[in-house]
Amino acid sequence: MIRFVDVQKTYANGVQALKGVNLQINDGEFVAIIGLSGAGKSTLLRSINKMISITSGQLFIDDAEISSIKGKDLRMLRRNIGMIFQSFNLVKRMTVYNNVLTGRVAYHPTFKTVFGLFPHEDKILALESLDTMGILDKAFTRADQLSGGQQQRVALARALAQKPKLILADEPVASLDPITTVQVMDDFARINRDFGITIVANMHHVDLALKYASRIIGIKDGRVVFDGPSAAISEAKLVEIYGRALKHNELLGE
Amino acid sequence: MARLTLTNGKVVIKPFNRIWIVLGIVIALSFLFGYVVALESEGITFRPDQLPIILKKMFSPHRGETWIDYFSYILELQNVMVMTLQMCYGGTVIGALSAVPIALLSSKNIVKTKWIYGPFRFLLNLFRTIPVTVLAVISIGMVGTGILAGMIAISLFTFGIMAKMLFELIETIDMNCVEALESTGANRVQAIRYAVFPQVFPVFIGYTIYIFETNVRSSAILSYVGITTIGTIMKDNEMTDYDKVGGAVILIFVVCVIIQLFSDLVRRKLE
Amino acid sequence: MNRVQSVLSKKPKKWIANLLFVLAISALLVYSFRNTSINPMRIRSIPFLIGNFFNGFTEILWDALLGYGEFRFVESITYLALQTLAIGFFGTLLGSILAVPVSFLAAENVVGKRVAKVGTFFLIVIRVFPEIILAYILVKGIGGGPVTGILVIGIHSVGMLGKLFAEAIDSMDRSSIEALDAVGANTWQKIRFGILPQLMPLMSSIALYRLDINVRSATILGAIGAGGLGALLTIFSDPPAWSILATIMVAIMVMVMAVDTVSSYLRNKLV
Repeated sequence: MIRFVDVQKTYANGVQALKGVNLQINDGEFVAIIGLSGAGKSTLLRSINKMISITSGQLFIDDAEISSIKGKDLRMLRRNIGMIFQSFNLVKRMTVYNNVLTGRVAYHPTFKTVFGLFPHEDKILALESLDTMGILDKAFTRADQLSGGQQQRVALARALAQKPKLILADEPVASLDPITTVQVMDDFARINRDFGITIVANMHHVDLALKYASRIIGIKDGRVVFDGPSAAISEAKLVEIYGRALKHNELLGE
Repeated sequence: MARLTLTNGKVVIKPFNRIWIVLGIVIALSFLFGYVVALESEGITFRPDQLPIILKKMFSPHRGETWIDYFSYILELQNVMVMTLQMCYGGTVIGALSAVPIALLSSKNIVKTKWIYGPFRFLLNLFRTIPVTVLAVISIGMVGTGILAGMIAISLFTFGIMAKMLFELIETIDMNCVEALESTGANRVQAIRYAVFPQVFPVFIGYTIYIFETNVRSSAILSYVGITTIGTIMKDNEMTDYDKVGGAVILIFVVCVIIQLFSDLVRRKLE
Repeated sequence: MNRVQSVLSKKPKKWIANLLFVLAISALLVYSFRNTSINPMRIRSIPFLIGNFFNGFTEILWDALLGYGEFRFVESITYLALQTLAIGFFGTLLGSILAVPVSFLAAENVVGKRVAKVGTFFLIVIRVFPEIILAYILVKGIGGGPVTGILVIGIHSVGMLGKLFAEAIDSMDRSSIEALDAVGANTWQKIRFGILPQLMPLMSSIALYRLDINVRSATILGAIGAGGLGALLTIFSDPPAWSILATIMVAIMVMVMAVDTVSSYLRNKLV
């Protein structure tokens, strides 16, 4: 469970990205964050696994306040949280299998991981995660030889290998073509449903967000202007979030 | 290979990591070569304690002389230094320029037929294996010892290096421009002049300067086959006047640094 | 028409700069021929000379080359070539290992601009210091033989390898490191899984390129006593004993072409 209490974030250059955010996200939800570029979506998402540190307020993950944790505790926090990036962020020259294994590094002592000595269970887990994502046959191919959709699935497998309770996704389908986009979003939905993993995703395409997420958070200018079930959002509210009528490229179209 | 069985029954075969093969080869080679080196080093005694002594002898004036004598000797060397630079400059420029046509003839994308670029490349590779000392011997045979011999040797050597670097460069350029030009009716030579040349020229200058630097630094070796260069000072005074050697070393180093700075400056301006 | 003409007249007159450039280069070139002289008798003997050179190849001393008959294997030229190869191999290995930490200190991405400037400067100093002089100092100071040759090549290579390694580090892709951060990896793990897989192929490619150059260097450095073929080359160069020189050159050719082929092949596979 994630809880934001009056969270603010001001960057070193003076930009105020978050201005007093109050939120609670419960286990098992599928939440989509929508808003204009620069509204604060990325900052909000990355403060959850402390890739970005908040300037004031409190952030609770499972009732533990995280603004002061660092070092080993921080890594232990992160190993339970999976993160999916827009540009996949795989290690291009490594095989798919090795990429997924990197999800396990925080679970073992440095010495063993640096020499590639992962326990047998981890190796099985990595392959099973790949199987869940339907790309087991690509296990020993180099990551950069896969298509965009396949690479994002590898990223998802990596996240699954962490056995996380929560997966954060920063515009996960923005780099994919429309058909692959639907496939990957279906994967997210399946993971949420079958494994009960909480999903918090920044979405660029509003109609996708409405279709897949059970709950929508609308951000404008660093503040939450909408927080409720996706069925409850109105056209007017969308105009408010985006400050104008939605543009063509913010809708995936059917 | 490792066999891994998943909980759902599927069996996966994991191939070997290529890294071990590479490591294995490196270690095997190390043993082979190490044996050769050890064999040869049997009769040699190492006296590392001599190093500080030699350094002191080289970089301070000898008994009975002063620092002024030390530095004025360096000034006396300027003739030889200029001779060396003459050799290197002339050799580099002539060698670099003569490499251009051969490089063009060895490029896959300029000369499409394998029957032309193939032999040119092979002969070029063969030519490049001739050590610079042998080239010097030939040059001496042609014109006697002296600056000209050095220049010829260096130009032959430069020719070899530049031709290879140049054709590798030419093969990386964007051929679309050449196509575009030929579609306007330009012939091959014109296309090369206007599409290849502008892309290649700045890098060519960069290479020339780099090779010039390298030539100045390695010109000393020519003195071991009889051509008078700044390195002759080192060879003549090998056992006796270490301070003269040291003086020559300082001069060479200073000149090289100046050339290096100049080269960096020109390279930056080219970008 | 008037507007076009005025724009045309304002066009930067690049041709002046180009002309000056060409004039300067040519002037220096002419100057570099100062004090050179040609001996007509020598010129007339050029065909004879070239004939001798090629003739040497018909008189290869197979027993000296391969080590049978009067020569034991360890006295053969092939053995010396192996030794030269060994010096080049270990020198490159040593240089690569030493260059890695130094290159990190010269990479802006890693240590910031100020420290990187110091690191780069240090690398430039090593690069500019002529290899032959380093060889001379070490041979006199420590002793001769292949091990010294390895040290010389190793230390000198750090300069160029360090510079190229630093450039590779600066061009690294940060995104996979971000992902490792998100997974909870610590610094060592980030290096092992994020940085190493990118840098290793690149650095190996650079080292293989340098191997080629270093083997050629090792061939020549022997003249100063650093082991390998160099000494033999210079002894038989003055006066030139063409058949022996040809024999040595055959060994060099085989060796260098082998290294070149292997190096190119591996570098293609790495990229």
